[in-house]
Amino acid sequence: MISRRALEITAAALTGIFGVAVIVSSIDNGIGWSSAGVDAGTFPFLTGVIIVLGSLYNLGQGALGRGTLAIVRTAVTSSELRRLAGLFVPAAIFVAVIPLVGMYLASAGYVFAVLAFPRRQSVLRALVIAAATPLALYVVFERMFQVSLPHGALATAFGF
Amino acid sequence: MENLQSLLHGFTIAITVPHLTLMVVGVLLGILVGVLPGLGAPNGVSLLLPLTFGMQPVSAIILLSSMYWGALFGGSVTSILFNIPGEPSSVATTFDGYPMARDGRPTTALATAFGSAAFGALVGVILITFLASWVAQVALAFGPPEYFAVYFLAFASFIGMGGAAPIKTLVALAIGFAIAAIGIDTVSGSVRLTMGIDELVKGVSFVVAVMGLFGIGELLIAVEEEFHARAVSSRVDWKEVFRALGRLPHHGVALLRSAAIGCWMGITPGGPTAASFMSYGIAKRFSRNGSRFGTGEAEGIVAPETADHAAGTSALLPMLSLGIPGSATAAVMMGGLMIWGLNPGPMLFVDQKDFVWGLIASMYVGNIVAVVLVLLTVPVFAALMRIPFAVIAPLIVIICVVGAYSVSNSYLDIVLMLGFGVFGYLFKKLHYPLAPLVLAIVIGDKAEDAFRQAMLMSKGSLGIFFANRLVTTLVLAGIALLLLPLALQIVRLLRKTDEAAHEKVRII
Repeated sequence: MISRRALEITAAALTGIFGVAVIVSSIDNGIGWSSAGVDAGTFPFLTGVIIVLGSLYNLGQGALGRGTLAIVRTAVTSSELRRLAGLFVPAAIFVAVIPLVGMYLASAGYVFAVLAFPRRQSVLRALVIAAATPLALYVVFERMFQVSLPHGALATAFGF
Repeated sequence: MENLQSLLHGFTIAITVPHLTLMVVGVLLGILVGVLPGLGAPNGVSLLLPLTFGMQPVSAIILLSSMYWGALFGGSVTSILFNIPGEPSSVATTFDGYPMARDGRPTTALATAFGSAAFGALVGVILITFLASWVAQVALAFGPPEYFAVYFLAFASFIGMGGAAPIKTLVALAIGFAIAAIGIDTVSGSVRLTMGIDELVKGVSFVVAVMGLFGIGELLIAVEEEFHARAVSSRVDWKEVFRALGRLPHHGVALLRSAAIGCWMGITPGGPTAASFMSYGIAKRFSRNGSRFGTGEAEGIVAPETADHAAGTSALLPMLSLGIPGSATAAVMMGGLMIWGLNPGPMLFVDQKDFVWGLIASMYVGNIVAVVLVLLTVPVFAALMRIPFAVIAPLIVIICVVGAYSVSNSYLDIVLMLGFGVFGYLFKKLHYPLAPLVLAIVIGDKAEDAFRQAMLMSKGSLGIFFANRLVTTLVLAGIALLLLPLALQIVRLLRKTDEAAHEKVRII
């Protein structure tokens, strides 16, 4: 279970860190006015400052439990969290293996895994959809529009 | 009416069997690239370009422009059905289109979108027919300060319309600007905000951000809520298509206003994206049903779609008459013009009358062909909503991954897209508004460039934004739109009606 407060604080912290990174990085580009007009870093610097100040405000509001959503205490229940993970974890694994096995194998495996293992669909149906997906991708992207999708290190090793 | 005569002559060129066939082929291919995220009209047009080298210039431009119409229509399909905008200009369509489709009315949503899009396109073409020379002059009057003023106007009409906490809106907007700034700065040429990752030099593409924020983010929200699309009736309901089209005249004011905004933003180089956002913002503010926007209001689909297509169509005019391409697609088409031995620019209207008026006539016919074809496909697309969520979810993930990759063949984009997905979920959950964030990503750096170029011209004086009538009007209109909600709030406080405070506002 994740409380609303924890989630608000996390979000504000993340945006704040992003803001600091923007400020630090834009100071390198130079801020202010030079012979070449407004310096490249000026606008990012200002947005960074706004992000940091806003995040601090949101952090305070979140920590004190104030703001528009103060009545809601729980943000994500444990069963909701399980469902979220059920979607996101396989998706993240899918993305992670793309450089290794390529888009086609990875997408077939991904579709098969999420359809067949939770027993939502019959194995046969899962197999059919898993085979059809990369095929459709290949025909539309590689053949029709000549957009090459990643083939992966494995395919390179086999000389494709 | 010399124009009218030329137009009639143009129709005799456009309405021939080979040209009608080309239109059908072009439109169908266009719908396909429009529906597939990551591929867009520029991809499609560049792939077809080599095929056109042997053709007559008129036939070639008819094929390419038909593809463009098809892609404009197709881009709205995924926005409405899956909350994944295929093109920047169809982001605003997701705000009401997706809730309506999820509510079990995908047919109505699609038909409304296509109907109003066709109306917008028609107004755009009529404008081109009658005001070609005047429009060309307006476009020439645009320098950096005017560009900035137009973008400012688009932001102003959109900011503060959601029900979100103001500071969260501000943070979202600033993050969007920062993301837009990543990569090479076009004014000074220096590399900004790459945080030491070399691949980020190319910047963060809008498509990558939007697929994560909207596509993956929405998917995460949907599984969390254990969402099941409301059952869509299994038979094809043609009556629903016509009923939705029949209801369009009820939104007459919205249609006309959005078409006007679209044409204006298409001629001035604000572009379709800014036009659709602006039109949505203004519609929400002035519509009687404004408070229900974001929950599946028909008017919330009419406004952005009409403006998008009116702008998309009228944006072709600067390309023809001035040789300034208004969009990536127009740029590719202009390349085509040169290859076919034509010189875009003012002389085109004098030297190549057949070509110009054949093209303009084909815009009328092509749009009619496009809207008929796309309406025929509505039941097919609506049927996609019947696929069980367990099957469609991984397919949406794959579409987003492939779409993000194909933008610039970069694996980093896939990872970024997934990251945006997590942020999209987090932001949506905590009621940070996503619309200002996306708007800032799309036109943030253009607005910044225009501002800095204007500053270079004026040597740092803000007076340049009040230097002539055009720019002063634009800036004042923007400021007025910014202050309007504030003024309305004060009026409301004085009247002490607190009903508004209890209304449930959906945050977009």
